[in-house]
Amino acid sequence: MLDLLSQVLDKLTLNAKDFVDIRYAYSMGETITVRNGRFDSVSNQTTGGIAVRALINNAWGFTSIIQTDKESITKAVEKAIQIAKVGSKYTDEKRIISDDWVYEGKGETVIEIDPRDIDKEIKFKKLIETEKAARKYSDRVVEASTTYQESHSREFIVNNKGTKVENEVHVIRLMKNVIGREGTKMQNVFDSIGGAGGWELVEKWDPEEEGIKAASQVEKLLHAQTPPSGKMNVIMDPSLTGVFIHEAFGHACEADAIIAKRSILEGKIGEQVGVEQINVFDDPTIPGLRGSFKYDSEGTRTSKRTLVNKGVLTEYFHTLETATALGMKPNGSGRASSFNVTPLARMANTYVDSGDMKLEEIAEIAKEGVYLKNSYGGYVVPAKGQFYFTCQMGYTIEKGEIANLMGNVGMSGMTLEVLKNTFAVGDKWEPAFLGTCGKGGQWVPVTGGGPNMGVSDVVVGGQK
Amino acid sequence: MSLSEELENLSKHVIKYGLSLGADQVEVYIVTGVTKAIQIELGSIHKFTETSDSGIGVRVIKNKAIGMSSTTIFTIESIEQTVKNAYSLAKVSTPDSNFNSLPEDTTPTPTIADTFDKNIIELPVEDFTQIMLESINEAKVEENAIISGNFSAGSGERYIVNSQGIERHSVRTSINGYLSVKIQKGDDIGNSYYFDSSPLLRNFEHIKIGKEAGKRAKRMLGSQKIETKDLPILMDPETTYFTVSNILSRGINAFNVINKTAFFIDKIGDKIASELLSIKDNPFYPGGTGSAAFDDEGVVPREVSLVKDGILQTYITDSYTAPLVGLKNTAHASRDSFSSRPRPSLYSLEIKAGDTPKDSIQEDMKEGILLIGSPIPSMGNNPQISAQINQGFYIKDGEIKHPVKNTVIGCTVFELYEKIAVLSKETENRKGHISPWILLEALRISGGK
Repeated sequence: MLDLLSQVLDKLTLNAKDFVDIRYAYSMGETITVRNGRFDSVSNQTTGGIAVRALINNAWGFTSIIQTDKESITKAVEKAIQIAKVGSKYTDEKRIISDDWVYEGKGETVIEIDPRDIDKEIKFKKLIETEKAARKYSDRVVEASTTYQESHSREFIVNNKGTKVENEVHVIRLMKNVIGREGTKMQNVFDSIGGAGGWELVEKWDPEEEGIKAASQVEKLLHAQTPPSGKMNVIMDPSLTGVFIHEAFGHACEADAIIAKRSILEGKIGEQVGVEQINVFDDPTIPGLRGSFKYDSEGTRTSKRTLVNKGVLTEYFHTLETATALGMKPNGSGRASSFNVTPLARMANTYVDSGDMKLEEIAEIAKEGVYLKNSYGGYVVPAKGQFYFTCQMGYTIEKGEIANLMGNVGMSGMTLEVLKNTFAVGDKWEPAFLGTCGKGGQWVPVTGGGPNMGVSDVVVGGQK
Repeated sequence: MSLSEELENLSKHVIKYGLSLGADQVEVYIVTGVTKAIQIELGSIHKFTETSDSGIGVRVIKNKAIGMSSTTIFTIESIEQTVKNAYSLAKVSTPDSNFNSLPEDTTPTPTIADTFDKNIIELPVEDFTQIMLESINEAKVEENAIISGNFSAGSGERYIVNSQGIERHSVRTSINGYLSVKIQKGDDIGNSYYFDSSPLLRNFEHIKIGKEAGKRAKRMLGSQKIETKDLPILMDPETTYFTVSNILSRGINAFNVINKTAFFIDKIGDKIASELLSIKDNPFYPGGTGSAAFDDEGVVPREVSLVKDGILQTYITDSYTAPLVGLKNTAHASRDSFSSRPRPSLYSLEIKAGDTPKDSIQEDMKEGILLIGSPIPSMGNNPQISAQINQGFYIKDGEIKHPVKNTVIGCTVFELYEKIAVLSKETENRKGHISPWILLEALRISGGK
């Protein structure tokens, strides 16, 4: 495929400042969901096609097609160039891609056990027995569902600067969602395992244990107290720290938002944005995590990014375009979820590095507040620097001790305040938030994580 | 042979091929389309795109077990492989005793006015660009306004054929625009957006997109944190529509009812909201963005009353859930994509107006919060609400004092529906989404002050 794409590219007559890349993306996936003892969905999906980008005279043209023959690809390239030329008439900004970054190579997720070789009955058994154990545990469990997902994607990328890359990523995930109801009160517990790899990442899942664990948490949450409301001290567990750093900070570090002047962190490289104990990284090179890959969708080799070093902002997430525009080095953050969309600057595995405090010590400093656990997700408006995230459960902190169980709640904070309001960083980081990040209509697998972390003045949106 | 004829033949081939493999029932769902889009960055064109939005989803039933498979690769080999995959998955899957049958429906396909416009298909790129530039021009409310967004235009066809005799085809066009505007004065940031979508070029309000996005961004300057307290909330029609429909679509969805997670389970004929609330769902609104002549299983819907004077009238169902909840199929089947299994979802709501002028509702507020384009969603299928206010204003003695930031509303969906206190006589109609202003009695507001 690389040769075919190169042949099309070689026939083009381009100016020195022009940029054209062609990407073939193919993906196969399998999804199985069991809900309340029934197969809700047993499906597989195949997508494949060609994506062409052309940057001509400061404007981009993009086309995608489902045909993969030479003639169709050639026409798609011509079309991308043609529409870029139209766009260039209405563009005031200077946009180029540097000639400095050329990549060649092949990346492939290491798989120990290929999930495609695992019998469906074995996959079914994990799902059925998990949700069955949850429902058996309590009559108050009204819905128990389990989902298995595997995806196998390949990208072939060539560009006129000389990049020729093939990348293969395999992602696997096993999820459970248990909902309990008592009258009008409902609580749910969600959890998952998996990452970039094979069956070995989910093999250890013990269905009965996982089902009972979720159901017993739901039982307790149905009788938990209502979360408080107002501004208070918050301790986040590693999963919450993960979604917090992803939403509150990670999105604001995406360089396309920086260039578009839509991030609160624009122009803040080298500035103190948090307390000295804070170090934030994003590392797609860690094997086995959901956001792990060797080359991005522009063919750039990925590397570990240091976003914050001792409280100082040091790096953004870059595509080739943003790195050129800001005079920085690309770091392989250009991710596209399919052939039908263009790569955007995205996170991969984002985490706060560990500090040195035990949970009990952090609670003692907090004195009063809440200890929040298990993320549900969140969102941010990077232009305003206002973010929101939610947890599944938590505990009140009273007189410096972790006290009473409480139900789910959402929180709001300001990006430029929270890292400065951090008063304690726990002693062990975990990649505990397994997420799927949405941006511009594209969804990509990510991980977030960190240690327990104490932050003051977070707004908690409870009902009392 | 035209593309339509090719796809029609292809659909029939899928059904025939699936049955020949041994399937009891087969359904094929095909979407095809091309979308042109312009991405705007810093007030000028960043990217032109032209993308294909096509795919085939196949659902196969064997001994009441269901297998699904999908592909975007339109070769006969790939499509036959997709049918084989669905069939093999159905064979290894466990029978679902709740499954009755794929739907049958001999109702003629109705025609909905104003859902197709060849002017959108033939729109020259220069004219499309001009529309976008006029919108951007309106959004430049300040010299330093940062404008970004996306405009798109295209057409899409939908084919649904099943082995029970359903054969449906529809084509519609759409033009969409979204602008986001940011204005910065020192550390003070005003940021907002506006959007519009229409099946017809002539009804597309591109000037309003720019005007509203700019006006809203300017209004968001000077935001302040507020204290935590209980305050009444006035929702504009956009906030009202998305808040009310979000709760309703989860709360009366028959799929959630059979799983006992619907907010309003066993409540048909009971009061679920303030008696001021009445809601109809109209799938046939002419020129409506949510209108459809048939649902995503090919069944023809009808206008239905969902809530009348606060009393729940029905659940929304599809072919799978209707028999399980003892109701007729209301034809609300909807798919997220060609690869998804259908689930019930709403079309286009009309929330009945009240009789109080909007201005007098605000004037009578001693203290409260005004929400503009800032919906209050539930936390997924949980009835708890803990929602950040993205565009809200603090009101004192009937006057807007300042925008709020870092503020969260905490309540439950039941409280929110019960606390509907006043509805305005004015409504906003956004291509069939019809909604008044609504005043909610005091709810818990958590502030950062």
